[in-house]
Amino acid sequence: MTATATGTPTPVSEPTTHQKSARPRRRNRWIGLGFAALPLAVYALVVLVPLAQSVQFSFYQWDGVSASTWAGLDNYKTFLTDPVLRSTFGHVLVLIGFFALLPIALGLLSAALLTRAKQPGMAVYRWIFFLPQVMTTVVIALVFKRIYAPDGPLNTALEAVGLGSFAKTWLGDFTWALPALGMIGTWVTFGFCMVLFISGTSAIAPELYEAARIDGAGPVKEFFAVTLPGLRGQMAVALTLTITAALRTFDLVWVTTHGGPGTSTLTPAVALYKAAFQNPQVGLAAAIGVVMAILCLIIAIVITRVSERD
Amino acid sequence: MERAFNYVILTILAVLVLFPVGTFLVAALSPDRSGKPVGFSDFAWDNFATAWRDADFSRAMTVSLIVAVCVVAGQVILALLGGYAFGVLGVAGDKWLFPVVLLGMMISLEAIIVPLYYQFRTFGLTNSLPGIILIHLGMGVPFGIFWMRAAFRALPRSAFESAELDGAGPLRMLRSMAAPMARPAIYTLILLSFMWTWNDYFLSLVFLHGDNQTATVALGVFQGKYVTQINLMAAGGLIVAAPVLALYVVFQRKFISGMLAGAIKE
Repeated sequence: MTATATGTPTPVSEPTTHQKSARPRRRNRWIGLGFAALPLAVYALVVLVPLAQSVQFSFYQWDGVSASTWAGLDNYKTFLTDPVLRSTFGHVLVLIGFFALLPIALGLLSAALLTRAKQPGMAVYRWIFFLPQVMTTVVIALVFKRIYAPDGPLNTALEAVGLGSFAKTWLGDFTWALPALGMIGTWVTFGFCMVLFISGTSAIAPELYEAARIDGAGPVKEFFAVTLPGLRGQMAVALTLTITAALRTFDLVWVTTHGGPGTSTLTPAVALYKAAFQNPQVGLAAAIGVVMAILCLIIAIVITRVSERD
Repeated sequence: MERAFNYVILTILAVLVLFPVGTFLVAALSPDRSGKPVGFSDFAWDNFATAWRDADFSRAMTVSLIVAVCVVAGQVILALLGGYAFGVLGVAGDKWLFPVVLLGMMISLEAIIVPLYYQFRTFGLTNSLPGIILIHLGMGVPFGIFWMRAAFRALPRSAFESAELDGAGPLRMLRSMAAPMARPAIYTLILLSFMWTWNDYFLSLVFLHGDNQTATVALGVFQGKYVTQINLMAAGGLIVAAPVLALYVVFQRKFISGMLAGAIKE
């Protein structure tokens, strides 16, 4: 539902553990289990049991109504070999460029360009940059459907500057629909990355910058020698969150293009939804879900490992 | 000089964020169905009333509100119990139980939605509010425990010791001391939980139909029907976004610090 685990504590976090916690006594541990029993039971019922069932379902052929038949690894094979389903991986790669790489580059750039001095009015900017994070994706999708419409602001602007020949039905175009969706992801995540990186740079010890300056480092060298290494933890978080968000894209696509035109914006999550609920191939849908979960886990683990290595 | 340069960059980026929302707002206030911008005096404020009526938002917003309030209340209770157990009391078997809980934060809904739907269908819990509330609660447990555990661990241990000397049992200690002291973290949890529940689309789309549609799903249907009436579609979108945006205006610091801290786990 939220996010993923990574290293480094945050400078802005509320409940940090700077004080020694109340150490549990032995007998308390069984009382503790009693306290935790209800949340753990709800969690097991809603998450753990279905997770195991997902794996089980993925080995069967089932239309959701009649009896199911054993299918072995067929569903996984279908997901990885069917040209349409396999194309979703390529789409995810494109989306990663827009959801993860571009916003992180923009975030780093802004963290590098902005001086680290506290500025009056920063709170207002932070409010603005974070705005896309609190808006429901359905509304964001509608906002951009409007922007990309044939008579929408984007085409109007292109015509106004004499680039009218580039105007098109962005979300209805086989080539441009996916990048257009990607740009929405960029819009949503770059503010988050920026705020994350700006707060990260303010936590870097000023002595490091002074030392770099004494060594005669210019702004560029300073960025690569001090700022970038100092933002490792934040980078890991941003990468994990944005890459998994790209992999899991559903709402945005479903509200704007339904995966179309054709299957040019089909994502794994949309394929899963169609397989699970439209013309039920339940086993296949479960297999897609399992693969997505494994990929998310691998991404999180790899990024954490790499960021913690020296 | 440097400062002015900072403001220029910040302002350019801020405009990039605000521009799409701005065009949407302008479209929502346009009397023209194509949503073309008009002057202040021509603003069609009744677009909101029309959209509200046509999309049957009274019903959908009520459903969303019921779901969100129940989920928030339930999630806070579960998070308090779990966070207190893992953070203060200790839990028998927490060496492997806690990682299992944390794992839940990495498990996406896609990984469990299929069996969840077909199991709930057998128990008649699809298209029912208790059903979807239960799912939201279960999905929220990992973050809730993670969040409140950290909050309780940050409390001074001396408080617990003196309360224990006074003979307070674990439950009374949680109710009369730990929970009140962790109030800021609880408020953040309430805001985040409300936002996540209200903004949910996928789960509601799968589980709720007809009269049980939440505001986000109802908006999706509404925009599909009113493709040619951009102004109403935009007005509807703003109505659905409004509750969370209003909270965000008032509690921006809690939202931002909560989401950053929630992203960066220990």
